[in-house]
Amino acid sequence: MKQRLQWLLRKSPLIWPKLRVPGWAAALVLIAGQALAAGGKPATKLVNVADIRTMGPGLSRWIAEVYNDNLWLYGALVVVTMALMGLILGTVFDRLVGMLGIDLGKIEHHE
Amino acid sequence: MEWFQVYLPIAGIQFNILLLLLIGFTVGVCGGFFGIGGAWIVTPALNIFGFPMPYAIGTDLAHMGGKSIVSTIRHGKFGNVDVRLAVAMIIGTTTGMELGARLVMHLERLGLAESVIRKIYIIFLFLIGSYVLYDYLSHILRQRKAAESGTAVSTGETFAQKLQRVRIPPMIHFKASKITCSLWLPVGVGFVTGVVASVLGVGGGFIRMPALIYLIGCPTLVAVGTDLFEVMITGAYGALTYGVKGRVDLLAAMWMLVGAAVGAQMGTVAVKYVRGYSIRLLFAVTIFIACSSVLMKQLEFQTASSVLILSAGIVISGVIIGWLIQGVLKERASRQARSWAAFKKED
Repeated sequence: MKQRLQWLLRKSPLIWPKLRVPGWAAALVLIAGQALAAGGKPATKLVNVADIRTMGPGLSRWIAEVYNDNLWLYGALVVVTMALMGLILGTVFDRLVGMLGIDLGKIEHHE
Repeated sequence: MEWFQVYLPIAGIQFNILLLLLIGFTVGVCGGFFGIGGAWIVTPALNIFGFPMPYAIGTDLAHMGGKSIVSTIRHGKFGNVDVRLAVAMIIGTTTGMELGARLVMHLERLGLAESVIRKIYIIFLFLIGSYVLYDYLSHILRQRKAAESGTAVSTGETFAQKLQRVRIPPMIHFKASKITCSLWLPVGVGFVTGVVASVLGVGGGFIRMPALIYLIGCPTLVAVGTDLFEVMITGAYGALTYGVKGRVDLLAAMWMLVGAAVGAQMGTVAVKYVRGYSIRLLFAVTIFIACSSVLMKQLEFQTASSVLILSAGIVISGVIIGWLIQGVLKERASRQARSWAAFKKED
């Protein structure tokens, strides 16, 4: 065993240069493999997150929290809010314009 | 101005509330008057002031749904909405939009989407604008000739009337538009405008409005009201799909809708005081401006193009409000004159 070790030490200056290229290649494969394993599958979608760290309580924060929690719920919230606001504002401004004394009945179509 | 700054957590930017109200107001006036969604004004306007593009598109679509409800309520009371016609067109539009989306994907695979679409867009806008302007000018010439000869204005048979004569069952009468035609006519027109709108990546109001006039034969005001009904549906769908994808800033859309609700009411009431052909003339001018803006974008003058479209939107809404004020003052004066005459008669 001792003799074998002495032979290896004597020969090593000749063996190492021959092992350099395949050694680096093996190391690269190992490192890349580890890196790929750590990264998992390639990303398919960016995550939507609203930054609420600096926000105080209120409507904006609540909207941002819904956005962060569930995008389907957020989508429904957008549609319902816009429809309700459209209906309410439409009715209110309709009344206000009527109060200006403008005739808002059916109109004749003149080309 | 610091007071008016608000943090929009979803777009992730600070934005001025007054600016949101102004953009909403401008597009509300134009939308209520022309019967369009006005994405071509809002999207570049939001983008130029710092909104990332996908959020600008999504936020615009969301507020468009709410704004169209405001305009449709008023146009409905004026008798300008043909619900039957709008429903028939929606069937064609949705199918057409699906086909258009597939066409775009095919162009994308060929690597031609961006350049081809923008070129088609420019040509399309130019053709629509030119035709509407030609129609307006020939109408004015006909009117002058009729006034000189002392006869009624003769229009001859329009292309829409020729299409209405094609009798493929089922035939349907559209009450508000006062036209009878085959159901396939609005479905077909909806389909074609749907394909074009989808390929161009726009809501399609500026295509549908002239299509309703020149292909189906609607009076201008009914075309405006009926198109808004369709915009309302597509806006709601757009709000949902972009909302689910997380590309709508609800807070910004809410502020814009407040401005748009005031503007839409004014734009809609303004149609009462103008003749259909005046709407067509201003529409042609607007289309030419939109065409120039896209052309500038094609030539890579991105900022100049956005500035042009925003300032044009403000000027056009100024013209519409001017007509509205003029009309209201005239109406009041004539009402006062009538009541004065009645008072004198009683005396």
